[in-house]
Amino acid sequence: MTEASISRRWRRRTDLLARWVVRAGGMAIIASVLGIFVFILIEVAPLFRRARAASAPEVPVPPTFLLAGVDETEELAFGISAPGRVEFIPLTEREAPAATELPGFSGRTPTCVFRPLREEEIDVGTADGRLVTASVRFRVGFGEATEDWRSSRTITPETSEPTVLQLDPQEKPLQAVARQSDSRGLVAAAITEDKRLVYLCVLEKKTLMGGVKRTEHRADLTGELPAAPTALTIDGSLENIYVGTAAGHVVHFDIRDLDAPRKVGFDTVRAAGSTPVTAMALLIGDQSLVVGEESGALSVWFQVDDAASSTGKALRRIREFPSHPAAVTAIAPSARDKGFATGDRAGRVRVHHSTSGRTLLSLEGDGSAVTQLVMTPRATGLLALHESGRISRWRIDNPHPEITLQTLFGKVWYEGYNEPAYSWQSGGGTDDFEPKFSLTPLIFGTLKGTVYALLIAVPIAILAAIYTAQFMHPDLRNLIKPTIEVMAALPSVVLGFLAGLWLAPAMERYMPAVLLMLIGIPASTLLALGAWLLLPSRLRGRSRGRLEIVLLMPVLVLAGAACFALGGPLERALFGGDFQQWWYETTGLTYDQRNAVVVGIAMGFAVIPIIFTISEDALSNVPRHLVSGSLALGATRWQTAVRVVLPTASPGIFSAIMIGFGRVVGETMIVLMATGNTPIMEWNLFNGFRTLSANIAVEIPEAPHGGTLYRILFLGALLLFAATFLVNTAAEMVRMRMRARYARL
Amino acid sequence: MKKLFRSGEPFIWLTGGALGGSLIMILGLILLIAVNGLGFFWPSDVALLTLADGSKAMGQIWNREAIPTPGEAERSVEHRLQIHVGNRELYGQDFRWIDEARIERREWPEQTVLLERREWGSFYGFIREVRTEGRAVAQGSSDEAWNAMLPLLDRARALWNEVRALEKGPMGEIYRRQERNRLAVRRVRLRHGSEEEIQRLLKESEAWGDKYRRVSEEIGRLRSEMNRSAVILETAQGETKEIPLSMIVRAIRPNALGVLGKCRVYAQRLWEFASGDPRESNTEGGIFPAIFGTVMMVFIMTLAVVPLGVLAALYLREYAKQGLLVRIVRIAVNNLAGVPSIVFGVFGLGFFIYLIGGSIDRLFFPEALPTPTYGTGGILWASLTLALLTVPVVIVATEEGLAAVPAELRQGSLALGATKFETLRRIVLPSATPGILTGMILAMARAAGEVAPLMITGVVKLAPTLPVDGTFPYLHLERKFMHLGFHIYDVGFQSPNVEAARPMVYATTLLLLVIVVGLNLAAIGLRNRLRRKYHSTAF
Repeated sequence: MTEASISRRWRRRTDLLARWVVRAGGMAIIASVLGIFVFILIEVAPLFRRARAASAPEVPVPPTFLLAGVDETEELAFGISAPGRVEFIPLTEREAPAATELPGFSGRTPTCVFRPLREEEIDVGTADGRLVTASVRFRVGFGEATEDWRSSRTITPETSEPTVLQLDPQEKPLQAVARQSDSRGLVAAAITEDKRLVYLCVLEKKTLMGGVKRTEHRADLTGELPAAPTALTIDGSLENIYVGTAAGHVVHFDIRDLDAPRKVGFDTVRAAGSTPVTAMALLIGDQSLVVGEESGALSVWFQVDDAASSTGKALRRIREFPSHPAAVTAIAPSARDKGFATGDRAGRVRVHHSTSGRTLLSLEGDGSAVTQLVMTPRATGLLALHESGRISRWRIDNPHPEITLQTLFGKVWYEGYNEPAYSWQSGGGTDDFEPKFSLTPLIFGTLKGTVYALLIAVPIAILAAIYTAQFMHPDLRNLIKPTIEVMAALPSVVLGFLAGLWLAPAMERYMPAVLLMLIGIPASTLLALGAWLLLPSRLRGRSRGRLEIVLLMPVLVLAGAACFALGGPLERALFGGDFQQWWYETTGLTYDQRNAVVVGIAMGFAVIPIIFTISEDALSNVPRHLVSGSLALGATRWQTAVRVVLPTASPGIFSAIMIGFGRVVGETMIVLMATGNTPIMEWNLFNGFRTLSANIAVEIPEAPHGGTLYRILFLGALLLFAATFLVNTAAEMVRMRMRARYARL
Repeated sequence: MKKLFRSGEPFIWLTGGALGGSLIMILGLILLIAVNGLGFFWPSDVALLTLADGSKAMGQIWNREAIPTPGEAERSVEHRLQIHVGNRELYGQDFRWIDEARIERREWPEQTVLLERREWGSFYGFIREVRTEGRAVAQGSSDEAWNAMLPLLDRARALWNEVRALEKGPMGEIYRRQERNRLAVRRVRLRHGSEEEIQRLLKESEAWGDKYRRVSEEIGRLRSEMNRSAVILETAQGETKEIPLSMIVRAIRPNALGVLGKCRVYAQRLWEFASGDPRESNTEGGIFPAIFGTVMMVFIMTLAVVPLGVLAALYLREYAKQGLLVRIVRIAVNNLAGVPSIVFGVFGLGFFIYLIGGSIDRLFFPEALPTPTYGTGGILWASLTLALLTVPVVIVATEEGLAAVPAELRQGSLALGATKFETLRRIVLPSATPGILTGMILAMARAAGEVAPLMITGVVKLAPTLPVDGTFPYLHLERKFMHLGFHIYDVGFQSPNVEAARPMVYATTLLLLVIVVGLNLAAIGLRNRLRRKYHSTAF
């Protein structure tokens, strides 16, 4: 083989190699760049995934067992059985801890059980009208540190000494019981077998001597009820008792005076026909009341403002859920969010979410009625005790229950609101808080900012482009175009800083002067024209578009200064000396220092260069012969510009506006720094707003990876991506068609 | 008049007005930043004001404005002065507004001393006593006391620098070694390694502990020496305050300085701004870490973006079959440049930090978990995010460069028997270099000014260490960093003392503006050269 052929082969190989490297590399890069969209989509997708449940093996329970709860690790269920023992039922392959005898029962039969959300106490009602309260705590210990920490984990239940109260003085068996307590004392209520509603409150007051003074208040509220009671619940802040009746009423008692409960009012569940209320529970936060009925109907209620009511609030039915086919017998609220589970007499179990008003899961039990239902503390599991004496279990995978298109974009009736509203409020510090994830105020804010910015940028940029392309001397144009191009690269953080810390306070002080400039500046250019026409025509002719702008600049500066000087007197003459006050009194709208006008000017400033550059390109690329033809036919240069050049270049100008729109929509730093970032929906010129982009910047540091907020922020990013990408593509298409047309002309 | 309007001339002037207005706004913006940014370093004279009620105030006059009188019919002619009175620990705030009407007398005493301190901001006062080791060296506000203080001040400053060097050097090294050993022990345990290995590591840690004690003793000794001298100052209102000389960064007597002396102070302060570390939660001192972080980030981004962008452009222009698909891809890539930067930030957070960074942590740094190493924001992830953001710029500019290479050049090369790759490497790429460079510079300019995506991928307000230092592996890509743009946002909007920090922000803004505009001008210059070159190339 000759050296030459080796070299040739070597060269061919390198060439081939290069071809493949460049091809593969190039394609990979382009694919990965476009993959951004796909990745964001993948991050958003789980938001809309349906909830899933996997059924776990059933477990048998001792006779007369009442289910009370599950420990944090979801390994032990516990409950009470006759004659007063706390039983532990293992849910995994582990040995059951021994049952603990509760003293105080002394042979009485437990009849019902109540457990306040997220508390360690369980309350048991007995057959002789007593309430036994004991706390069940689980101590989690770890053995030797090994890789598999789960197997070495030990869970030891600890049961406290119970307290016993005689709730019903007549010592009748209790059918349903509820108890809540705080630093002031304890409130308990129960429904007895003979359909009486008994109330007991035990107040504890520290005396000066360091002792504790106990006072008991009893009441029999049966007389206040329109029908026999069937279900009841008390809220954790000791303010309200809600009672359901056999005739389908929801009765509301105000117990803010703990020793004297007052009936506020009642409402019937159904307008026509009465169906008994069979189950009731408060969701976390104790505002939303879930009411289940004999007919299987299910609704959520909470208090709204009502002037007619004695407390100023009235209980109102807010939303309905699809009906169970049989009577609702048990309701279990989630300890994590506004979700809850319901069980019916036919053994079915469903999972719902209150905010979204959605039924997430529908599960079949073993056919016998559900008597008790418990959601695990992390809301990842569900246990239903059936009449048949078995517990059916499910693991629930339901990470984003509150998200539907309705909660993201529509009006939602949130707790504590008087009507459905669009609202964005992602967190309130506690688990009780109902997160409000409406993107509508943010989209509104984005559009508001965009509209104001474009209102300022588009006229200035396009007028300036017309002047530069049509009336300016080419020498000057070559100087001015790059200047403005460089300005396109001005970091937005610089503009945002100036807008927030310099422009906003300045505008607050000199608002009338700024308004005056809207008229003053155009007027001054006309004055300048007048002065120009007084110049000898020989001088004017020589300028050919060079002198005018030079002459105009000082005039504009002077006009601006004059506006400032006149601003003060104008404010006194027209606005009573204080524009902000006047604005508030005239329109009823507030004036924020960092407002939409400030943002509009700053963002307008940011996009003037890009709109200018693209429009100017379109205008100056209009074929020269069109212009010459028009001028030759006797049209003035303005007529030529408006009737010939502008229509021809209009697609280019349109695409310039579109691209400017794309820039403004996603602008982050200016909005972040120059508005108050409050997600409100008002077109008021002088208040702030929050945009999708600023929202991401504000909230993402607090959004845990994979959480609902995190995914919603990704959804915001996806919306921005899609909007700008579509708009830019459309603009690009328009421009391409325009270029083709110019080539034909 | 009607004829005039019909001719359209007034409208032409209106368009001219729009252009003139834009130009004025741009110039005004630059002027505003330049004046505020550069004026900050000038040591202006200190005024001693005697007020109508006999009280006194001393400080630099920063501002003068008309007193706003809402609802008043007459135009107000009263003015008030914004005085930077300093002495924060005595007055609680840095500024005072004083109505001019209340000022009885203004003086400019030569003996006024302005101290810039490491903590609590500036101090204005007269020297009452200079003392070292508990006894007075000089007394009174005379030149003699001033001259006695200067050598002591130099000495204290030298000692302070020594302490700092020790803390940053050996002390930091010891901390890092011990931390590394702690993690090594955990790693051995996790992998069920030998007990001897653990013992060896623990013994090593102990040795470092000994060294730690020795260095901290040395630091203690220097500190006590450093705190030996102090100066006692009297404020305008007669309070006295003892200030250890080691707490003083700079002492000047502005009223006694001539123009030349002031220029020297100006230069010193400018240099401190560019090369010093920030003090007082970034509102004083320098911004060197931010400059360094910005440069470093842009550098890493450039390393990533240029090869990728050029490769993609080569594929699109030279290797891909030109057709509808390539046209669509080209439009898509172009439009990616218009996608909001915050979207890229979100992507960087989800993809680089959580997905890639999280995986790296689980594979290579399990001993540090749950503290993330790469699974949190850092300079590498920020740079890669910005590389994605700017890759369309490089692709477009490179394609433009490639397209500008005359077809005759390629055909000539191919006709002489060169392969396609050789033609590319020897003929096309060198001619397209200005285009590639233009793209690179534009990408750098965009990256230097971008803030939103960085905020969520690794920028912090104060980074304890630079991404490059003397400990192995020297380049720490996982570290968080400071950035000029974020510095502006943070100091201007998140700082507790915005009023006092404002001049710093203007100065930082000016610096950022100079960098970005400079890079852009360079890009425009290169582009023009490229155009000229190929316009004149004729075969």
